[in-house]
Amino acid sequence: MVAKAAEKGDAKSVTEQQEKDKKKAEKENEVSEEDQKLQADLNLLVERFQDADSGVQKSALESLRNMIRSSTTSMTSVPKPLKFLRPHFDVMKEVFEKITDPAVKKTCASVLSVMAMTMSTTRESIKYKLLGTKEDIGSWGHEYVRHLAGEVTQEWNENAKDDAEKKEVLLSLAREIVGYFMGHNAEPEACDLLMEIENLPLLPEFVDAHAYGKVCLYLISCVPYVADPEDGHLLRASIKLYHKFNQYTEALRLAIRLNDMDMIKELFTTCPDRSVQKQMAFILAHSQVYLDLDESSDGYDEFMGIMSNSDLNTNHLALARELDIAEPKNPEDVYKSHLEQHRPYGGASLDSARQNLASAFVNGFLNCGFGSDKMFAEDGNKWIYKNKEHGMLSATASLGLILLWDVDGGLTQIDKYLYATDDYIKSGAMLACGIVNARIRNECDPAKALLGEHVLNKSNIIRTGAIIGLSLAYAGTNRADVLELLLPVLDDEASSLEIRCFTAVSLGLIAVGTCNSEVGEAILHCLMDRSALELKDPLAKMMALGLGLLFMGQQEKVDTVRATLQVLDEPFRTIAVTFADACAYAGTGNVLKVQQFLHICSEHFESPKKEDDKQADASTSAAPLGAAAAAAAAVEKDKKKDEGNDNAMKQGVAALGIALIAMGEDIGAEMSLRSFGHLLRYGDPALRRAIPLALGLLSVSNPKLPVMDTLSKFSHDNDSEVASNSVFAMGLIGAGTNNARLATMLRNLAVYHTKDANSLFMVRIAQGLLHMGKGTHSLSPQYSDRFLVSRAALAGLIIVLSSCLDVKSTILGKHHYLLYYLVPAIQSRMLVCFDEELKPITTSVRVGTAVDTVGQAGRPKAITGFQTHTTPVLLNYGERAELASDEYIPLTSILEGFVILRKRSTDHEMA
Amino acid sequence: MGQNQSGGRRGGPGGGDKKDDKQKRKYEPPVPTRVGKKRKRVGKGPAAATKLPTITPYQRCRLRLLKMERIKDYMLLEEEFLKNQERLKPQEEKEDEDRTRVDDLRGTPMNVGNLEEIIDDNHAIVSTSVGSEHYVNILSFVDKDQLEPGCTVLLNHKVHAVVGVLNDDTDPMVSLMKLEKAPVETYADIGGLDVQIQEIKEAVELPMTHPEYYEEMGIKPPKGVILYGPPGTGKTLLAKAVANQTSATFLRVVGSELIQKYLGDGPKLVRELFRVAQEHAPSIVFIDEIDAVGTKRYDSNSGGEREIQRTMLELLNQLDGFDTMADVKVIMATNRIETLDPALIRPGRIDRKIEFPLPDEKTKRRIFNIHTSRMTIASDVNMDEYVMAKDDLSGADIKAICTEAGLMALRERRMKVTNEDFLKAKETVLYRKQEKTPEGLYL
Repeated sequence: MVAKAAEKGDAKSVTEQQEKDKKKAEKENEVSEEDQKLQADLNLLVERFQDADSGVQKSALESLRNMIRSSTTSMTSVPKPLKFLRPHFDVMKEVFEKITDPAVKKTCASVLSVMAMTMSTTRESIKYKLLGTKEDIGSWGHEYVRHLAGEVTQEWNENAKDDAEKKEVLLSLAREIVGYFMGHNAEPEACDLLMEIENLPLLPEFVDAHAYGKVCLYLISCVPYVADPEDGHLLRASIKLYHKFNQYTEALRLAIRLNDMDMIKELFTTCPDRSVQKQMAFILAHSQVYLDLDESSDGYDEFMGIMSNSDLNTNHLALARELDIAEPKNPEDVYKSHLEQHRPYGGASLDSARQNLASAFVNGFLNCGFGSDKMFAEDGNKWIYKNKEHGMLSATASLGLILLWDVDGGLTQIDKYLYATDDYIKSGAMLACGIVNARIRNECDPAKALLGEHVLNKSNIIRTGAIIGLSLAYAGTNRADVLELLLPVLDDEASSLEIRCFTAVSLGLIAVGTCNSEVGEAILHCLMDRSALELKDPLAKMMALGLGLLFMGQQEKVDTVRATLQVLDEPFRTIAVTFADACAYAGTGNVLKVQQFLHICSEHFESPKKEDDKQADASTSAAPLGAAAAAAAAVEKDKKKDEGNDNAMKQGVAALGIALIAMGEDIGAEMSLRSFGHLLRYGDPALRRAIPLALGLLSVSNPKLPVMDTLSKFSHDNDSEVASNSVFAMGLIGAGTNNARLATMLRNLAVYHTKDANSLFMVRIAQGLLHMGKGTHSLSPQYSDRFLVSRAALAGLIIVLSSCLDVKSTILGKHHYLLYYLVPAIQSRMLVCFDEELKPITTSVRVGTAVDTVGQAGRPKAITGFQTHTTPVLLNYGERAELASDEYIPLTSILEGFVILRKRSTDHEMA
Repeated sequence: MGQNQSGGRRGGPGGGDKKDDKQKRKYEPPVPTRVGKKRKRVGKGPAAATKLPTITPYQRCRLRLLKMERIKDYMLLEEEFLKNQERLKPQEEKEDEDRTRVDDLRGTPMNVGNLEEIIDDNHAIVSTSVGSEHYVNILSFVDKDQLEPGCTVLLNHKVHAVVGVLNDDTDPMVSLMKLEKAPVETYADIGGLDVQIQEIKEAVELPMTHPEYYEEMGIKPPKGVILYGPPGTGKTLLAKAVANQTSATFLRVVGSELIQKYLGDGPKLVRELFRVAQEHAPSIVFIDEIDAVGTKRYDSNSGGEREIQRTMLELLNQLDGFDTMADVKVIMATNRIETLDPALIRPGRIDRKIEFPLPDEKTKRRIFNIHTSRMTIASDVNMDEYVMAKDDLSGADIKAICTEAGLMALRERRMKVTNEDFLKAKETVLYRKQEKTPEGLYL
């Protein structure tokens, strides 16, 4: 223990009384009179204890016991009697062996057990405890129980693994200890013991209504840090506890995390309270989990209504009205170019088509979900025709963003474009249809009805829109009928590589995290059939990504596919395998995988390449003013790279993979930031391009200052791809936050990049993201107090980010519509309160930064630095809300999204 | 916090062009720069960048262990990665290249200047040694976190652009207070005072070494203690023992040091003191003879008095003001606690008041033992005689007696200290002690 050193010294001074050593002598002087007396008493008692007469022995033992018990101590030192008894431990052990009277023997064993605590590393404490009296363990004090708990764990792990009898003995002792811990506010210790001896199911016996909250919180916080099977046990144990105490919404969260549909359904149907069921339906709706309820069951329509998310749009608009931001905005409102400091010599020699396209995206993001804008409202057609080809596609599709979540109203507005003569517009309209339906489940399946017939359209352009649209509308649903529609596209002769890639990704997005074997096989076949040349295409990796998405978060289940992928040729093999691994272990914080990816990142490739790079770099820097010259140089460079590109690509994928895995828990996320710092320092140029994206992924919609600084630094990098990726990542980390600092940075970047149409396009996109939904949205895949991760949202983010690995040929090329894959990740940051009849009510809530309260004594504050608002309010990343008044009781402890409040009354008092 | 919509610009479409235009031109104040503010620097420079994440439950539990292991894993990964990289692709060459480039940009010779004001992230006003002021660029490679108004910077000799920061701008007075060499006195040199030792340990040492105890109990550890009692009872000695024992930074000040010649210098010194303490946290600040600045406030016309009071007010603020000071513990010592300002010793600033009484018989004996343990004493000396005597002897008096007795023996070239020496020594010491109170003179 703490004062072991001191105590050792003292013990020595006791035994080696006469030692002349100066220090020791000083120590010895320290022994005060009382101590001497105590020591003498103890010595006497020990002597008497050795007496042959059992009566004397017994009384000596009794007084010894009382002395030990009655001794008090400061926090840091061992009680004095124990300290002085140390030298006698062996003697007493010998005597113990000779005792015949069972009662005395037992008492003696107890005393020895306590004494053993101060003795040695051997586990004698537990040995004697088991021999001793069966009295209350707490009588010897907390420290003793703690010590005992430690020995139980050791004993269990070393000796009792396959000894059933011993297990039984230890278990009964463990029960006693756990009971004691629970009764003395030491819940974490009780949990630790049970975790160590793998007997969590015992927990419900000991937990009472006061403790279950703390116990569950502790168990849940352990989940991200334990190895694979154990996290499931922890979650299940917590679900049981919550279930026992009727906390259905809490249990539901955990069940969703477990992804256990049966459990979810059981919890939902067994819940006796109608209002709580509604609240559960809201949570399910946010998680996009759809339960097939019995139609005859009570409240079927209502639950279905909630779960299909059909009111998302109305509620969002209500929020907009409440916050007075319903007024549509122009892209210019966020560019604020009047604030840019124009350089005197700068001219407006810009690629206007690019700028128009950017405006289309910005307009879409900015007015996302508000149902009205200024550009389409003025003259939609004219506006669309300001763009060219794929630009028209994206521009039309941006209408979908504006009308996001508004199925009925939105489709009528999009309808007219569906019958346009231009293929691009038509395709864009289909994409818009898909976007509008995102997150919403509608009985009529308008998306499928409208788009289904077009997936095999002759025109590849129309196919694109239809396929992507379908995937956005049904992201994460694993709907068999939709998958069937899309599967034939993979085999269709008429499909171009591009279409095949989009289809694969779309399939992956729809069946994300389901391990759907049918889809998996189809994509695999498609991959195998591709020639080596085709696999060189920058889009080809999307196919591998599609495959990976199927196994999102499924860990080992990916192994068979990994094995199959080994037949592919390098370097595509590594890319595919890395994607599969990264997705499968997404959010798990698996350090071994991180290590594997770091290994990939630490390779360096042939040096002749570098010369080329250097040359190209030189030429770029030599002609910094001529944008055209720079572009030409870049093209040249691209050609030269070709194969080096693929090697670089796998490093990029690995870097994204690290972020993907580490984002599951805070420690890993913070530590991987450091790793990225090293990667930036040592990595090849190609790897450096991926790092900003990975940084962006780690803190989506969470504009942390250090990350912002790093990205800002790299947004001025010589390498234009690093720069544009950094800019995009800046948009990502600020998505939907309106962060003023980022806004200023981006404005400055807009000036900095005036000459370069591509970079400027990126800056505009980032600005659009930053002000997404006028600052009411978030792209973060985490929700419910950052405990749950939406797979569809995460999949959408990865798709966009991995397309950014080759940003020149995708986002900055003609595939800018890939940006719409962000749609599944868009969620509102609002907190809206309803009464039990689902009527919105306003009440005051406190909003503040979340504090980690795990394992703290008493009732610690869950938020800090709060402000009081009235609902509806917006919650930023890492913020938590709690009700400010006692008028209502929320039906869920996590105030996020839609929350039902119940009026507080005496008979409805909740635990 | 949750409400930062981009609202506030409600320019309606029906407003007409002119109005619209006007609104567009609306000035928007720039975001305040993050750099260049006077602030407490908690762990600056590279240390801050490599700081490890904090682990939240302070309690000893498995969760904490797991989290720590996770950090360790990542550190191992980093180590492995760096080793590989150094092997595959030595960086020295590149670093040298970078360094020469930075040196080129800096240019030689450089001037030393003073940073007057920071305008925005990239510009500042500096003054050079000749007194002229310039509006200049701050080069991008300058660590902006270290810039703050008033600091010394390196300037390019032609354009006076800021090319570097000169560190270590702490007040030399404060760095003087830092205790470089631990005192030799340990807890073993203290006779008695068991309760006091325990209290000071609980309040000062344990919160730094074992914060989890307090977390478990659900309390905030005490911020500071005050030691009070008659002169010579071991207050300073105990503080020395604390300094000897702890591995924390130990700053020691005497109250009178805080009184400075110029207005505002005293409070500034207090601020600096606590800033240094914060920077080197965990740290212990020991203020001896606090009554020099901490006396009760009263109306005073003397500028000096008021300045002293202001110094105390700053001290109050630093002890429990707006800025939290984590891991800085304060020990104060005085022998006139009744004259101290009540605000100074209220709980929250000083949570524990530890009294040092005059030693009782038992303690006296131990003090005698400590001081005589290395003296050669004749067998006729009976310590009990002195211990049992009714005189008010403090620890310091006892030490004086022993020393005096030793000196007497020395005078007579004896190798042993006899009882007579002790008797005489005691008389002298007691006589000297009472000397200043001329008792019986007027009786």
